[in-house]
Amino acid sequence: MSVSFAPECTDAKTKYDDCFNKWYTEKFLKGKSLENECTEFWDSYITCVNSALAKQSVNPMLEKAREDQPFTSEEIRASAGTSKK
Amino acid sequence: MKLFESEHYFNYPWDQVTAANWQKYPNELSTHVVSVDILNRSIDVDNKTLRTERLIGCKQAIPNWLSFIVGGQKLSYVREVSEVDLINNTLVLKSHNLTMNHILLVNETVIYKPDPQLKSRTIFTQSAEITAYAAITRICDKLEEWSVERFGQNAKTGKLAFEGVLDTLSTKWEESGVFVSDVLKDFNNDLTEKTSDVLSEVSKLGLFKLNSSSSNSSSSTLPSSVSSSPSSSH
Repeated sequence: MSVSFAPECTDAKTKYDDCFNKWYTEKFLKGKSLENECTEFWDSYITCVNSALAKQSVNPMLEKAREDQPFTSEEIRASAGTSKK
Repeated sequence: MKLFESEHYFNYPWDQVTAANWQKYPNELSTHVVSVDILNRSIDVDNKTLRTERLIGCKQAIPNWLSFIVGGQKLSYVREVSEVDLINNTLVLKSHNLTMNHILLVNETVIYKPDPQLKSRTIFTQSAEITAYAAITRICDKLEEWSVERFGQNAKTGKLAFEGVLDTLSTKWEESGVFVSDVLKDFNNDLTEKTSDVLSEVSKLGLFKLNSSSSNSSSSTLPSSVSSSPSSSH
């Protein structure tokens, strides 16, 4: 699995990715689960990432990008041609 | 603004292609993609849709003399938002560069859908809007044209490499019953990565042109390395 931009978060990321990929292929794609089953791993990973992000110069760029281009579900569905009536 | 569009078929089922999407890095061919982080992930139960926001870090292949423009950063970042829709069987990825977007903004949309004619096949459509911001229109045009051309070249190679990876993945899937693999060395279909390629190279071209046109100084003041061939992109 790929590393995190913050080296101290890579361990937590690997654990989360492993859990996620297993869930995604074995459950989500097969329609067996619509529930995030990796919350424990997610929580420690995202806590690490958020605290690293707060110290990085990428954070303001990210905030601005989210504001400029939210890439909403509506936009995404419009691109895919699956917009609801 | 210039548009790049392309369509392609992968001879692999849609679900496998989407699973591969989460597992592309690291790989030997995409050495300049240095990190991938998931920033947000949520499930819309009613629409059976998984939404993910990722931050992808790439090595910045820019010459030293240009680094003042991006504040001496060694890394560039791309933000990607994707949705896997299990009802409509679509995977859509939208991305844009966070770094140097005041010089060049690449807005990309990739869609994977099963081929309605042949379920074992996946249709891939890619489009990118490339906008260069600079003071002189003529230069912007050139920059955009050049970027579109470069983007197209990279996209072509990426698709070929993706075929190889899907082959590896599907063999593994048949053997094990699942298509999770941690040995995806050939995976090289990331548009983000192509965005980064284009950016790093455009940055060279961009400032080269701007410098030589916006003042009376001769372009010979630029280091000779500036106009040398592109870095290790493919």
